[in-house]
Amino acid sequence: MNLSFAIPLSAPDVNFRLLLPELILSVTGVVVMLVDAFTGRSQRRATATLSLAGLAATAWATLWLWPSAQGADTRAWGGMIVLDPMRLSFTLVFLIVAALTVLISAIWVEWEGLPAGEFHTLLLFATVGMMLMASGNDLVMIFLGLEILSIATYVMAGFRKNDLRSNESSLKYFILGSFSSAFLLYGIALVYGATAHEVSAQPQASGALAQHVILAGTTNISAIAERVNDGLYPPLLFAGAAMLMIGFGFKIASAPFHVWTPDVYEGAPTPVTAFMAAGPKAAGFAAFMRVFLLAFPFVAASGQMRSTGAQLHDAWLGALWILAVLTMTVGNVVALVQTNVKRMLAYSSIAHAGYALVGFVAAGAADSAHQTDAVAAVVFYLLAYAVMNLGAFAVVTLIARSGDRRTDIEDYRGIGFDSPALSLTLSLFLLSLLGVPLTAGFMGKVMVFSQALGEGYKWLVVIGVLNTAISVYYYLGLIVVMFFRERTTEWRAPRIPTTLAVVLVLTVAGVIYLGLFPGRVINAFRAVQPIAVSSLR
Amino acid sequence: MIPLSWYLALSAVLFTIGVVGVIIKRNVISMFMCIELMLNAVNLTFVAFSSYFGDVTGQLFVFIVMTVAAAEAAVGLGIVIAIFRNRESLDVDDASVLRL
Repeated sequence: MNLSFAIPLSAPDVNFRLLLPELILSVTGVVVMLVDAFTGRSQRRATATLSLAGLAATAWATLWLWPSAQGADTRAWGGMIVLDPMRLSFTLVFLIVAALTVLISAIWVEWEGLPAGEFHTLLLFATVGMMLMASGNDLVMIFLGLEILSIATYVMAGFRKNDLRSNESSLKYFILGSFSSAFLLYGIALVYGATAHEVSAQPQASGALAQHVILAGTTNISAIAERVNDGLYPPLLFAGAAMLMIGFGFKIASAPFHVWTPDVYEGAPTPVTAFMAAGPKAAGFAAFMRVFLLAFPFVAASGQMRSTGAQLHDAWLGALWILAVLTMTVGNVVALVQTNVKRMLAYSSIAHAGYALVGFVAAGAADSAHQTDAVAAVVFYLLAYAVMNLGAFAVVTLIARSGDRRTDIEDYRGIGFDSPALSLTLSLFLLSLLGVPLTAGFMGKVMVFSQALGEGYKWLVVIGVLNTAISVYYYLGLIVVMFFRERTTEWRAPRIPTTLAVVLVLTVAGVIYLGLFPGRVINAFRAVQPIAVSSLR
Repeated sequence: MIPLSWYLALSAVLFTIGVVGVIIKRNVISMFMCIELMLNAVNLTFVAFSSYFGDVTGQLFVFIVMTVAAAEAAVGLGIVIAIFRNRESLDVDDASVLRL
C-alpha cells in the first residue's frame, strides 16, 4: 500500500490563546478530580467552589476573546479550531448552564450523600466537550467533543447507582446515544470519501497529456464547503449528509429521533435532567448548525446544470422543515397527557428544540448577511430556554426531595399558597416556557419566528404559533394544579437552601432581563458593538 | 485489485446488520456488540477510502474512533454492571420502570 500525507507534514499552527477557554476548564476539571481524590470524603463545598471559580475564569477568557472574533487570526491547529461569534456565544450558554447546574446540585448531593467531587469533575468535562463541539471546525473535532460530552453525561444520568430508575435512564441514554454516534460517524466517513475530487495536474513542459490526480477527501468544514460542487461521488455526499442529520437529530432530541428523551429525562436525577435538557441540546445545535450551515451551503454551479451544492442545500433544508414541524407538534401534543412533571418538561424540551429548529431553517435559507442574525436568534432562544428551564428544574429538585420521590403532578396539588416563593417562581418559569410577553421565552420565540417570516416561511411560523397555543394547556394546567386544587397529600413547605435561592434569584432575573432588554445580548451574539439602548424594542 | 465499491458495499451491509441487531436484540450486551459492529463498519469505510486515495488522514481517524469506542465500552460495561447488581437481568424488556 502506498500511503502519503496529502499535505506535507508540518508543525500544526499552535495557538493556545484561541483554545484558552477549553484549556482553563480542562485544567480545572483535573484539579477538581485531584482535590477530590486526595482529600476526605466530604469536600462538597471545596469542589463546588473550585468548579465555579474555573467556570468564571473560563467565562472571563471567553469574553476576553470576544473582540478578536472578527479579526484575522481566527483559525488555528490546522484549521480544527475556529473563533467566531457563534462559538463564543454558544460557549457562554454552556458556561451559564454548567454554573447553574453546580448550584442546583449542591442540595441534591447533600441529600443523597453522593460523591460530589466526581459529579463536579464529570460536569466540567462534559462542559469542555460541549465547548469543543462549538469550537471545532472539523468533523473529527466535533465528534471528539460530542463523545467527551456524551460519555460524561451517561455516567451523570446513572449517578444514583442504587436507584433502578437512574440505572435505566443511564442505560437507555448510553445505548441510544452510542447508536446515534455511530450514525454520525458513518456520515462523517461518507462525507470524507465523497469530498474527494479530481484535479488535472499542470501539463508537463514536454507536452505530455494533463494528468488527472485524485485529491483525498476532507473532514474540514471549510474545505467541505469548497468541494461540495466538484466532489467525485455526489450520491455519497447526500447519504453522508442524511446520516449526519440523523446523528445530530438524536442529540438535539428532535422528532422522530426523540423516543429516548422522556425516559432518560424522567429517570435521571433532577439536576442532571436540568443539565441535559439545556446543555447537550444547545451543544447539539451548535455542531448541527456549524456543519449544515457552513459545510453544506448553497453553492451555485457555473454551468447550466443544477449544481450538487444547490440540490444538497434544498434537500437538507426541506428535511429540516419537516423535522421542525414534527418536533414541535409531537412534543406539545404528547406533553398534554403526562402525569409526571419531569416527563412533561421532557416533552416540553422536545417542543422547544422544534422552535429552535424554526430559527435554524431560517438561518439555512438566509443569505450570508442575514445568516448571522438568524444564528444569533437561535442562540438567544437556547440561552432563554436554558435559563428558564434550569430555573424550573431547580424548583422541581427542591419539591422532589431526596430520591426524586415527589415528581408527579398530583404532588403539586395545592402547594401554591403554602410555599409562595417556590410556586410563584415556578409559575414564572412556566409562563416563560409558554412564551408570555415580558419574559425571555416570548422574546426568544419572537426572534426565531420573525427570522423565519423574513425568509418567507409563513406556514412554519403558523404551525409554531398553533403549537404555542397547544402548550398553554399543560403549562397553565400545572399552575392551576398548584393554586386552585385542594391538597390531598401531606405537604410541608421545604426550606429553600442558600444555593438554590441563588439559582432562583439568578434565573428569575435572567428571565426578566432577557424578556425586557434582549438587545444587548443579541447584539453581542451578532458580534456588533454592544449598544446601551435596545434596537429591537 | 478489488474495487472501492466492494469495500463500501461490505461496510454498508455490516452497518445495516449492526442497526438491525440493536433494534431486534433484547440483551444489553448483544446490543452493545451490535453498536461496536456499526463502529467497525465505519472504520472499514474510512480505511477503504484512505487506501484508495493514498491518504493517511482516514486511517488516523480510525485510531480516534477506536479510542473513543474503548472509552465508551468502559463506561457502558460499568452501567451494565450497575444495572445487573440492582436487577439481576440484562434483558432490556425488564428495564421498564419508566414506560416508553
